Amino acid sequence: MQGPEKATKWLKSWAFAAVPLVGLVELGAHVAEVRGVTPDSDWTAARDSVKAAARPEDLIAFAPRWVDPVGREKFGRELATIEREAPGDVSRFPRAFEVSIRGKHWPEFETWKRDDEKHFGAVTVTTFENPGYRPTLTDLVSNLDGEHAAVSHVDASGEAACAWNIGAPLTGNLGFGPAIPSHRFECGGTRVGVSVVADMDYVPHRCIYVPLSGSTPIRITFKDVTFGDVLHGNHGLYVEAERMRTGAPVSISFSVGEEHIGRAEHRDGESWKGFEFSTGDLKGQKGDLVAEISSSGSRRMYCFEAITR
Amino acid sequence: MSEPEKNEKKTAAEKADAKPPFDWSTLFVFPEKIGWRDHALGGISAATYVGILIVTARTLGFARDESFYFSAGQSYAHWIELLMHDSARALDKSVVDGVWGQNHEHPSLMKILFGLSNLYFHEKWELFKDASTAFRFPGMVMSGMAVWVTYLFGARVFSRRAGFVAAVLLATMPQLFYNAHLACFDAPIMAMWLLAVYIYYRSVQEGGLGWAIAFGIVYGLTLDTKHNAWILPLVFIPHAFWVQRFAIAKNLKLGRLVIPTNLVTMAVLGPLVLYALWPWLWSDTITRIQEWVEFHTHHVYYNMEFLGKNYYEPPSPPGYMPLLVIATVPGITMLLFFIGIFDRLRALVLRFAASFKKENAQPGASRAEDARKPARHAEADVLIFLAFSAPLAVFLLPATPIFGGTKHWLPAYPFLAMLAGHGFDLAAAKADVAFRKVRSWNADKIEIAHAIMMALVFVAPIAETAHSHPFGIGAYVPTVGGFAGGADLGLNRQFWGYTTQSVGPWLEKNAPRNARVFIHDTTGDAWNRMEAEGRIRGDLRAAGSPGDADFALVQHELHMNEVDDQIWVAYGHTSPAYVLTQDGVPFVSVYRRK
Repeated sequence: MQGPEKATKWLKSWAFAAVPLVGLVELGAHVAEVRGVTPDSDWTAARDSVKAAARPEDLIAFAPRWVDPVGREKFGRELATIEREAPGDVSRFPRAFEVSIRGKHWPEFETWKRDDEKHFGAVTVTTFENPGYRPTLTDLVSNLDGEHAAVSHVDASGEAACAWNIGAPLTGNLGFGPAIPSHRFECGGTRVGVSVVADMDYVPHRCIYVPLSGSTPIRITFKDVTFGDVLHGNHGLYVEAERMRTGAPVSISFSVGEEHIGRAEHRDGESWKGFEFSTGDLKGQKGDLVAEISSSGSRRMYCFEAITR
Repeated sequence: MSEPEKNEKKTAAEKADAKPPFDWSTLFVFPEKIGWRDHALGGISAATYVGILIVTARTLGFARDESFYFSAGQSYAHWIELLMHDSARALDKSVVDGVWGQNHEHPSLMKILFGLSNLYFHEKWELFKDASTAFRFPGMVMSGMAVWVTYLFGARVFSRRAGFVAAVLLATMPQLFYNAHLACFDAPIMAMWLLAVYIYYRSVQEGGLGWAIAFGIVYGLTLDTKHNAWILPLVFIPHAFWVQRFAIAKNLKLGRLVIPTNLVTMAVLGPLVLYALWPWLWSDTITRIQEWVEFHTHHVYYNMEFLGKNYYEPPSPPGYMPLLVIATVPGITMLLFFIGIFDRLRALVLRFAASFKKENAQPGASRAEDARKPARHAEADVLIFLAFSAPLAVFLLPATPIFGGTKHWLPAYPFLAMLAGHGFDLAAAKADVAFRKVRSWNADKIEIAHAIMMALVFVAPIAETAHSHPFGIGAYVPTVGGFAGGADLGLNRQFWGYTTQSVGPWLEKNAPRNARVFIHDTTGDAWNRMEAEGRIRGDLRAAGSPGDADFALVQHELHMNEVDDQIWVAYGHTSPAYVLTQDGVPFVSVYRRK
């Protein structure tokens, strides 16, 4: 018998050994997985590094997304703020610190400039620069309070103001929708305030929650808004209110005095959706910006956010 | 004859009559025929499994559905007590409907057993300290029975070694290990499905009315376990007609339609047993059966994450079931399964091809008899394929909801394990040939080599199963990277809110007295029972919303993120005080209001 033939025969007769070998490899893989958990010390080192470098306007993002609860726990409430955890979108941040394990990354940063990368054991902190960053002039969400905004509902009898109140937050279990915040405008059954909405991919967004229960439009006046080139924003509905795609559209229109800035419409199934209107004519000026939200449908658990820049 | 001669002769005769001392080692020699020794081995395996389940039960929190079945079981058991003491009152329609209307979307058998087990093993005889363990015990016994029957079935169809390997590989499937603990129906229906197929197989092999009646009764008990049993006729009817095809064809030519006896008993005794054991059906029978069927054929689509997407409506993703099987059954088990199924499919194809040629070449009279002998194993193969495929095939239909994950196709797993056992048999046979060629190895060394080979097959599934506890639903095998790999793939981590108990030790240390805890997906009944059994500190109070609580729990699933969002708004921060993880993967976050 020739050498190669002999080797083939030998291999065939010992092919069964693949079975215990696979068992052994699987055991090794299991042990590696169990022992491969990121230690607390790596998280702590990464946190200290980010804490020293991050400015308030920077984004801190944890990758993969499933590790976000651990990231929030380890980094604490000062670093993992609601603004960072539930942004309208990432375009408003000049810089991002991506805190990642397992080599995972946020796709949003693919077009950003990678500035720095530091390794803390199993945790990698990558600093990205936003190439298209333009500073925010006014953030409508942050300005929604009794001092900087006014809310009213409009019906056939005219416009009725909603009062700025502070009460207990309203929450529930699964299916409740966005929490009604403690600080809110109230008129009749309508409560308008800053909340966090889950979009159709269950990504959180901090936004102005305007639950519409009928055909009565809600009007929000933002006082002393500083205008730039554009009014940029996003809007959507609570996932369970839009995912069956049976609800009526919700529209939001912006105006300053008599000047119409723009109108965006959100249809069920569009999830968290962006809009942008030019405000070049108003650039450098300050003024009251009016947002009017309306829909003909019921259970329109609508939320929007916008900035000027 | 002199006296000494007589004595000598007597002693010789006594010596000749004296029985040799009993050789105990013969007890461990298995004859060719399957017998009591096999039942002993199966029984010991089952008892060991049940023992492990009992010992580990206290570390596993209560699933939502368990809390409903605890309650229903308790009511059913009290009704049975009433029936024994005051049958007239117990049989009053209003009483029957009041008791058996509770949780009537599922049939009665397991809930009766849960309730009776609690009544006798906990309340009366105090065999189990925890009522929950008593409630769970019948489900555990069912799972043990599945291990037992898997061994027997595998031993009969393939070999004892295949049966034993199959039993161990079944017991060491992490997600089954989780379900085997519960007072639910998924492990029991797996066991009953397997038992029904096994008894049917015996009825085919042995013939006779006894096995056919036993099969009809077992099918009725299966129907009374869970609605998966509705699918079983799709296994039995084609198989029985195929097995009896020659007799049926012969009779048809004579103008007679012959229905296999076991199908008749299935059709007659099955529904009768269901009816007899489920008092809910004793009134408005047809309407209530319709209601039962409609509940499950028009079931709500619960949320379920698959590959990072939340599914909540049809169509269900066709890749769901295949990927979940590969992601949750240990890799070595799957490898052996593929070896085993490839071999049996090849054999079947060859056998059918050969019988087709034979049928074309030979005249009719002897054809049936000739085909019968080689077809003997094919009958078992076809039965195993059907019983394995039917529970899985349902999940290839776009209208089938995918909530519940792997638990809904557990009935396929004993057959998967049997084919894996056969795969091991084939590898071991090859190994035997190779070992015998090693000149320096004697019989002892060869035995040791075989034992090592078997141990290497078992060790990873055992380690994975042990490590999966008590997070069984989120347990993924190394094939996809374990717990973290499953999370990377965007596979479901849990449902039923059963992981709350696992944050009990943290709450014990950190929650002030009488603190209110938002328990999220855990039911109030489950929470109360955890407190009653000392699994959660007794002074803590369950709250229905984060806003009403001092601490809020989130059991992480993709669609539960909205609860996190609510908590952030209500508490004004995003940072959990504690995150319960397994291999770094979050299972429960505990937020503190401040």
